[in-house]
Amino acid sequence: MSSRASKTHCMSVGFATALIVGAASHAAVAHHSTAMFEPEKRVTLSGTITDFQWTNPHAWIQVTVAGADGKPTAWSFECGSPNTLSRQGWKPSTLKPGDAVMIVANPMKDGTSAGLMYTVTLADGRVLGPGAQVAAQPPASPPAR
Amino acid sequence: MRTLRAQAFRVGTWGAAASLVGWTLAAYAQSLSSAGDLPDWSGAWTRSTGQFYESTPEQALEAPPPADSPRRRPPYTPKFAALYEQNLALIAADRFPDPISICGTPAGWPRMLALPDAYEFVIRPEQTWLLSENGPNVVRIYTDGRTHPKPEDMWATYTGNNVGHWEKGELVFHSIGLKGAPATILGRNGVVMSDRLETTTRIRQIAPDRLLVTVVLADPEALTRPWPVAFTYARLPPGSTVYDYACAENNRNPITSDGRTLTLDPSGEVIDKLE
Repeated sequence: MSSRASKTHCMSVGFATALIVGAASHAAVAHHSTAMFEPEKRVTLSGTITDFQWTNPHAWIQVTVAGADGKPTAWSFECGSPNTLSRQGWKPSTLKPGDAVMIVANPMKDGTSAGLMYTVTLADGRVLGPGAQVAAQPPASPPAR
Repeated sequence: MRTLRAQAFRVGTWGAAASLVGWTLAAYAQSLSSAGDLPDWSGAWTRSTGQFYESTPEQALEAPPPADSPRRRPPYTPKFAALYEQNLALIAADRFPDPISICGTPAGWPRMLALPDAYEFVIRPEQTWLLSENGPNVVRIYTDGRTHPKPEDMWATYTGNNVGHWEKGELVFHSIGLKGAPATILGRNGVVMSDRLETTTRIRQIAPDRLLVTVVLADPEALTRPWPVAFTYARLPPGSTVYDYACAENNRNPITSDGRTLTLDPSGEVIDKLE
């Protein structure tokens, strides 16, 4: 887990409070423009899974999050394709309705309750997503010739 | 006489059959011999480095150039320079349409070199298939000695007409008959070419699990000089599975007629706040 993600991991459960500026974009996985997402910001949300769509061209995570006023809000988080996710350790059964999760995502620019998933922290502490992949990578070096 | 004629027929038939078998075996042996000279690019691969910016083979092994690098800008003719500026303005306004977002057409050549997900190579002496999981896309590269069809026998397609040969384990091929903008783009960075694009591609193994692909783009309508780009690919762990990619299965990002990408909720309702 990156240091930034570690910070967000320690945040209290509830409505999103973290906005991380300067986050790298991971737009390359999308089959469409990602202009609707904030590339330089990330939000952290905790909530309960209502659905996990293991579908192409993108998997989607549906989460109910308690808002600041206590009202539940439905959020949609876009992921990579199942093909890509499976190579990063995901399975169709990774997320099930009722699971408690914490999600870090690039939010929609227009404030809509949706975002581009960066990491998902499961109840058992495992962290999945492009952010976890970035954190796990060794320092960049040119490939051998 | 009849017996002799029948015997001669039998001999001739068997001789012809024997010749056919001999020729077939020789051709098969030749095939095996040729196949034995071909590289083993089995398994699944994924792109490690490269995008559509100017890049030599050596630069393909380095970090990408900065956003304002001249290498990011193709050596465009005035006509395509103007089109590129127009595309950049559309990108800034979130109105640059990506043809593959509709889940109906392939990314095409050479854009398919820069896709996410996995790649595969199926190599035969007479033909190589380059498969991309994303899309999917299939490029058929003929190495059986044929040449490109006559112009009157060709029409533009997404993956074009590709003919080539092997040079000591390096696959070299030439591509023409490609669709240009707006049917295809090279990426969401606004880089596009015309349907007069021709590419010369070289693919070689530079390490046991690493491929280097260099492509020289030549387009008399779009470019003032040939434009080289390069990519590297890494082999995925042994036993990796490549899946289908049914893009229309659950596309929650439709495109409006003016090029804007929308987001749908699970029930299919647009959730963007439209102005």
